[in-house]
Amino acid sequence: MGFAELWKTYGGDYLVALLTTWQLTAISFVFVMILSVLVTVMRVCPIKPLRVVGDVYVQIFRNIPGVSLLIICVYALPFLKVLLDYRTCVIVTTILLGSAFGSENFMSGINTIGVGQIEAARSLGLTFTQILRKIVIPQALRSAVLPMTNLLIAVMLTTALGSQVPLSPPELTGLVSVINTQVSGGITTFFISALGYALSALAIGYVGNAIDKRVRILR
Amino acid sequence: MATTMQDEGKQTPVIELRDVDKHYGDLHVLKNINLEVDKGEVLVIIGPSGSGKSTLCRTINRLETIDSGQILIEGKPLPQEGKELAAMRAELGMVFQQFNLFAHMSILDNVTIGPIDVLGVPKEKAQAEAMELLKRVGVAEQASKVPAQLSGGQQQRVAIARSLAMHPKAMLFDEPTSALDPEMINEVLDVMVELARQGMTMIVVTHEMSFARRVADRVVFMADGQIVEEGAPDEFFDHPKSERAKEFLESISGH
Repeated sequence: MGFAELWKTYGGDYLVALLTTWQLTAISFVFVMILSVLVTVMRVCPIKPLRVVGDVYVQIFRNIPGVSLLIICVYALPFLKVLLDYRTCVIVTTILLGSAFGSENFMSGINTIGVGQIEAARSLGLTFTQILRKIVIPQALRSAVLPMTNLLIAVMLTTALGSQVPLSPPELTGLVSVINTQVSGGITTFFISALGYALSALAIGYVGNAIDKRVRILR
Repeated sequence: MATTMQDEGKQTPVIELRDVDKHYGDLHVLKNINLEVDKGEVLVIIGPSGSGKSTLCRTINRLETIDSGQILIEGKPLPQEGKELAAMRAELGMVFQQFNLFAHMSILDNVTIGPIDVLGVPKEKAQAEAMELLKRVGVAEQASKVPAQLSGGQQQRVAIARSLAMHPKAMLFDEPTSALDPEMINEVLDVMVELARQGMTMIVVTHEMSFARRVADRVVFMADGQIVEEGAPDEFFDHPKSERAKEFLESISGH
């Protein structure tokens, strides 16, 4: 089956799959950002046990392949009486993975701030939470725009894990399997999905660059 | 106990250090430091690099902890941590060698964040006062810019304004001109001279000997973590008593 015929037959499905991918990406990324901030705050707070928990969290979820995490979500969690549907499993896996990397992005953002500004803030009498809210987090956020743009793209690609479980409707990668079991599209079926990912990533990169230019901190 | 034993009529020093000791690992950076700074006094600390003078300055608002001894602010011991320490720090201004302005904030916001977030001053009032202070240090036109757009001298003057906005009981200057290009040193020193003239209690760690001579009420000379000698500036510079101070003054008089 050639490109034109594939597109004619399955064009609608591709669009739905693209939207599904976007949806999974958007939901995951919102939680990735929230969790990244929380984990990062734990990692820099003065309470040692919290710092340890934050570090361990990052080390665990940064170092486990997404597929393994997904398998754990789908097959192991039910033993703990946690039963998530497939879609939620994909999202949770993506969030755990993404937030570990997101926290690393924030940590490197924090490291650019320099101890001097923190000392100045302490000298003014600002408390730990005030320094975090007014000095550290705003600067970490603003200097993490480009890495976070990359992370958003990575999160989108990670949602392809959805192809390993039955989703309906399927996302971009899952749709390839669905189509290729029905007709012989071969590599072209993949190509159309890949185009969807690539164009989305380009758009994300463009927007990310524009935001970075606006909020970048002069040093 | 000791505070009750003070002489009648002598007011409590704004800053007092008693038998302060500090180590960095094996290095004994502060050795039995005893120091008093009275209200309105300008104390200048000089000495070779590595003598502990910056560390001393930084212990006073507990940016550095001490191993033993006592630091008293208006007779009260410096709190260990938490809200009390933050409250005490709010009463002491600190100016750093590297300015340390908040890079993501406008100049105006740099000066108002303390009053608004620590003292609870309403925003309009804080901004009006900040503009007054910026005018006083000569950088009012830069209020809407961010720190990186200002010269070093301008940034340091903003840093002084940021401290002044807290109405501090005393100001600590940790080598405030050491990171500046030569032509910008005077614009910062002028602001400090003016402050001293207005009666601000100041501790200044510096290498600017002409400033020390002109402004200091008392000069403290430190070497190897100890206070070696202290006295009135003219006496210290013209007739240093210790060998160490003589050597130091000779080594810098070459340029």
